Amino acid sequence: MAIRVVVVKRPEREISYLRAALKGMAMTFRHLLQKKFTMQYPEQRSTDDWSLSPRWRGTHRMLTDEQGRAKCVACGLCPQICPANCIKLVPGEDEVGHRYPLIYEIDEFRCVFCGYCQEVCPEEAIHVGVHYENAEYERERFVYDLERLCAQTHPVSTLWDPSDPKGE
Amino acid sequence: MADKRTVALDLATPGMDAEGRPIRVPIGVAEGPGPEPDFSSERLLLNVGPQHPATHGVLRLVVELDGEVVTRVVPHIGYLHSGFEKLGEYRHYNQIIPLTDRTDYLAPMANNVALAMAAEQLMGIEVTERCQVLRVIACELSRIISHLVWLGTTAVDIGAFTPFLWTFQEREKVYDLQEAWTGARLTTSVARVGGMMADLPDGFEPKLREFCQAFPGVLDEVDRLLTRNGIWIARLQGIGIMTGEEAINYGLSGPMLRASGVPYDVRKDRPYLDYETYDFEVPIGEHGDVYDRYLVRMEEMRQSVRILEQALDRLPDGALNVDDPRVILPPKSTAMSDMEAMIFHFKQVMEGVPAPVGEVYTAIENGKGELGYYFVSDGTAKPVRWRIRPPSFLNIAALPKMAEGHLFADLIAINASVDIVMGEIDR
Repeated sequence: MAIRVVVVKRPEREISYLRAALKGMAMTFRHLLQKKFTMQYPEQRSTDDWSLSPRWRGTHRMLTDEQGRAKCVACGLCPQICPANCIKLVPGEDEVGHRYPLIYEIDEFRCVFCGYCQEVCPEEAIHVGVHYENAEYERERFVYDLERLCAQTHPVSTLWDPSDPKGE
Repeated sequence: MADKRTVALDLATPGMDAEGRPIRVPIGVAEGPGPEPDFSSERLLLNVGPQHPATHGVLRLVVELDGEVVTRVVPHIGYLHSGFEKLGEYRHYNQIIPLTDRTDYLAPMANNVALAMAAEQLMGIEVTERCQVLRVIACELSRIISHLVWLGTTAVDIGAFTPFLWTFQEREKVYDLQEAWTGARLTTSVARVGGMMADLPDGFEPKLREFCQAFPGVLDEVDRLLTRNGIWIARLQGIGIMTGEEAINYGLSGPMLRASGVPYDVRKDRPYLDYETYDFEVPIGEHGDVYDRYLVRMEEMRQSVRILEQALDRLPDGALNVDDPRVILPPKSTAMSDMEAMIFHFKQVMEGVPAPVGEVYTAIENGKGELGYYFVSDGTAKPVRWRIRPPSFLNIAALPKMAEGHLFADLIAINASVDIVMGEIDR
């Protein structure tokens, strides 16, 4: 197949820098009158045109069941798939044979927020959430334990969620 | 020229002699570092970078100057080395995708797609029609944002600040689209082997159409500011010339090669993702200088918008991922209710997707040039060896040739015209 090419043409005449500067100035001032594109973060968290996507992959959250226990069954898929090796899981078993996580820690410093943990979770327990402000004063505070993951309240990402078939 | 120097080496000890001077113990005689450097020509060695805004990342240029004329340039790379290729040897094919976000971080979606395509070619997987169109959209959006960053930063390097703000505003709009689609603005991880991470969200197509309509207007504005501007022309025309033959010999690709008049575009020469069915033209230049590279990239963005519109028009319904439970994770609702799907789910996550023994090279046309992925497989789910062919790594190799004999200020313009991204050069 012959490739259709278009040879880029140079302008025949250049305009002097003075005229170009004035023209540029006029265009820039016209932009002053246009709608503002920026927003005043942190006072303003969203604009009419933009708000954080419901699919946002941010701070993790562990969902809980009706009794307030973590849904996690310690199957071990998320530490297996995690490309950054940031999940620590020690499984335990109670007297009736139900598996649960003895230790479940996510190092938010190592995490790359790819969301694979949520993608592989067969119990819809671990989620990435629609939340991004997680600054701390101490490094140790960035290792989120099970209690802290369960205590998060922000909405979870709709990716890989049966409620959004397009993201599934 | 003096002969080789000999240098007497001795070691200071903590002891003092009678006059209070430290006692030095001779430890031998060594040859000095060759002849004395000749300073008579008044050549000046200058370090540009690694922390310098005009090097577009952590690139260090050691420049030898004669007055203000550049006589030699040596690019030093490796400051951003992350070992992606080694890390990939310990990861399943799907787990490598987050790494590719970070190689060419100005066009992450195209990198994700390229890796998925290479793995699919290795495994012999044909993706669905809808997936192909979505991948075209991902690739072309990546090309646009990559060129927009190039346009803005180059204009800043030359001394025009306004286009930078306007191009970055447009780039934000594309990032909003990426965020709505993938849940992340930069680290998209959008592709999967055999499909995509997610389908387009509701409201994505009208937003993309709106962007396609408004975007050429912004390009026209930048065009009016720059193309015929006397300063812009004086700074860029006749600077950093590569003839077509030289460009091929140096292994250049992408806009760098096409500005030298060589009509090579992977989308046309080795079509992938059904690119042969899209109607678009390949812009080429006549002079091979920095100005032609600017014109070629401007035209490429317009052609990308054309491709995006065609992709939106033909966007077919139907399945997004291949219907193969060995490759693609079953949908969540099925995996949680169906025993068999659950088994496939666990098996795939724990063991990965094994690829047959062999090796494969797949190239796509990224914004910066021919982006290649090379895999060697020994039959397991992880590659034995994985290598990227980064376009800007080969393009930067031509910088010493292009910059020689130009003024120092032109070196900045030439370096900007290469459009490098250190993430993929150092990997």
